[in-house]
Amino acid sequence: MTSLFPNAFHVARREYLVRVRGRAFAITTALLALSIAAVTMVPTILAAVGVADPPRIAVDVQAEDLPSDPVLQLQVALIVGSGNDATDGADANRPRVTRAEDPEAAAQAVRDGELDALLTITRDDGGELAYEYLGSASPTNQTRLIVTAFAQELTIADRLARAGIGAQETAEIFEPPAFTATPIDPDDTSEADDFGGAFILAYAVVILTFMAILTYGNWVAQSVAEEKSGRVMELLITAATPRQLLIGKVLGTGAAGLTQYLAIVVAAIVGFLANGPVGDALGVSGQAPITLPDLEPATLLALSAFFLLGFVLYSTLYAAAGSMVSRIEDVQQAVGPLIFLAMAGYFASFTGLNDPDAGWVGVLSLVPFFSPYLMPARMLLTSVDIGEVLLALALLAVTLAAALWLASRIYSAGVLLYGQRVGLRNVWRATRVSR
Amino acid sequence: MSLVVDSITKRFGDVVALDGVSFSVEPGRIFGLLGANGAGKTTSMRIVLDILRADAGRVTWHGAENTSLPRRTWGYLPEERGLYPKMLVGEQLRFFAALYGVPDATARAEIDDWLERFRIPDYRERKVEELSKGNQQKIQFIAAILHDPEVLIMDEPFSGLDPVNVRLLKEAFLEMRDRGKTLIFSTHQMETVEELCESIAIIDVGRVVVSGAVRDVKRAMGRRVVRLATEGDGHGAEWLTQVPGVELTTRREDYVELHVPADRDPATILSAALERGERVTRFEIAEPSLEEIFVEYVGRRAVDESEEHLASSSREGAA
Repeated sequence: MTSLFPNAFHVARREYLVRVRGRAFAITTALLALSIAAVTMVPTILAAVGVADPPRIAVDVQAEDLPSDPVLQLQVALIVGSGNDATDGADANRPRVTRAEDPEAAAQAVRDGELDALLTITRDDGGELAYEYLGSASPTNQTRLIVTAFAQELTIADRLARAGIGAQETAEIFEPPAFTATPIDPDDTSEADDFGGAFILAYAVVILTFMAILTYGNWVAQSVAEEKSGRVMELLITAATPRQLLIGKVLGTGAAGLTQYLAIVVAAIVGFLANGPVGDALGVSGQAPITLPDLEPATLLALSAFFLLGFVLYSTLYAAAGSMVSRIEDVQQAVGPLIFLAMAGYFASFTGLNDPDAGWVGVLSLVPFFSPYLMPARMLLTSVDIGEVLLALALLAVTLAAALWLASRIYSAGVLLYGQRVGLRNVWRATRVSR
Repeated sequence: MSLVVDSITKRFGDVVALDGVSFSVEPGRIFGLLGANGAGKTTSMRIVLDILRADAGRVTWHGAENTSLPRRTWGYLPEERGLYPKMLVGEQLRFFAALYGVPDATARAEIDDWLERFRIPDYRERKVEELSKGNQQKIQFIAAILHDPEVLIMDEPFSGLDPVNVRLLKEAFLEMRDRGKTLIFSTHQMETVEELCESIAIIDVGRVVVSGAVRDVKRAMGRRVVRLATEGDGHGAEWLTQVPGVELTTRREDYVELHVPADRDPATILSAALERGERVTRFEIAEPSLEEIFVEYVGRRAVDESEEHLASSSREGAA
């Protein structure tokens, strides 16, 4: 058997250079990087253009003998509800609650959009507090939700006061209960502070893996079909073995894809970092940053391994699919089953993200073709036994070896079949007669 | 020792593409592989190159099985030309050379040398798609020989070339032969075969119908051709049929062509003409042309481009 290198390297190098130098690559990469950077800047941009303005509410207090100052209490509720630290951030970014001296003017201000809402507090004949909220009526409006909760709390406190319960006891009544959640597994990170970050990261890993497989896998299939329909294949197959061509193609395209990914990730990081300075420059303070979980080097290594092995596995099969068609237009038809497989894993992991400890997620995370999505997601969201991780990796590697063998055979047979209908049967028949 | 193709058989599904094909090629010679479209030339070449595996039979070069030989033994010019259209000529040729293990510096020098020889030195930095078909074919030829292969296998190398480029390519063939290379090519242009090839094989429907040195193949036809022209109005040719064994095959405006069996002396025709008092302006004894031989063996005319394309598109899978 001929050695894999240096020919696989020559093929990969050509593939990479042709790809990266192309105008389409430069334009796509630039557009993707720009849009990612723009997306990461969205909070700051929104703050700057005023869409994310803090709520401004006027309170018209007509009821007497309230247990506490509703203006102050609502202000605190809004600050807590918006997630902003009251002691931090510019004044402009803080919710503003004022006493409506002139209810008519305040109502007009709400209609003119100068105020977000006017809350009128009255007491009915039975002594109960009643509230009237003038503003966005949408039930999901964040400000309205906070105001509703505030009203409930104020009413209860008021009823307690009227029942003769003192301020001290009232405060005790509102004291939150002792509530501790103990995970079954001591290493479980799902209750940790950075769970939100881990969740976002898990989503990102699944989406990035899926996109890489679909986009760059398609590149591989297209490029093989191009070589075949342009008839350069016959020359290649004489100069190099199918295995060298196949692996070179997958590596070269993969490297080009990773280059694009790197550009996007760098743009994303730059975007995140730029949020602070840009926000300061525009006079709006940035949103509370999302803290990403600290990843162990071993975890990072495993994530990379799953990504790379999964990507190479799918790309290899994409190459085989590309070698089965005579015309570039037929590529989509040939890669259909692979897209289906990739989508199945993708959707399975999205369901799995919500319940990473479920039994079926555990099983599926070992299955090649699915493990590149599910195992990294599980590793980020819950604790996974190292043995399981290694088993999934081993299964993936074995499947990859089998796929390489199969794809080489399909490739060497497929590249010489012209003008015949795409069909596994044709190709399979040909694999038995070719070398 | 030589290149020996020993009873190779190849089936594609129900189609028998090759049925015990055998021929041998002496090293340092130019060999012509002739046959109608779909006869099995391309399949034979692919099997020699080890792109395809035969169902039975074997191919050896200097006694070694082709499956064990390094790929750089062979140079290949496929019938369907194919290069990367958007790649620069120089870069592309260096890529193919690299696949065959040629050091880059050697490849660069060779590329410059061959581009010069083909009179297209400034095409190195051009994209292939910008070149004319003929020039693309030259690039394809260079791609086939850059790694200095011992055996050069070319499928229809002359098709689609204008006479000037045909001449350049023929010169390149002779140059390669003078360097000690063995050349095998297929073509429909019989004059080219007559001009270049020392030996041939004619394949028809997957079988070799005749092979060997061109001279021997011609002798084996058992006849010679006489071309005769006499002064006058050319009506008097009928008497020729009276000469025993002679067959009048072609009557042209300026001469007639006769077949004479091998056991008859063609000179009897000349003496018969002189006896009749004809003024002979041309008397030529020749071997039968390859075209005649081909038609006789294969039973149809070899050169018919339009038919060729129809045939090749429907038979590509098995060709």
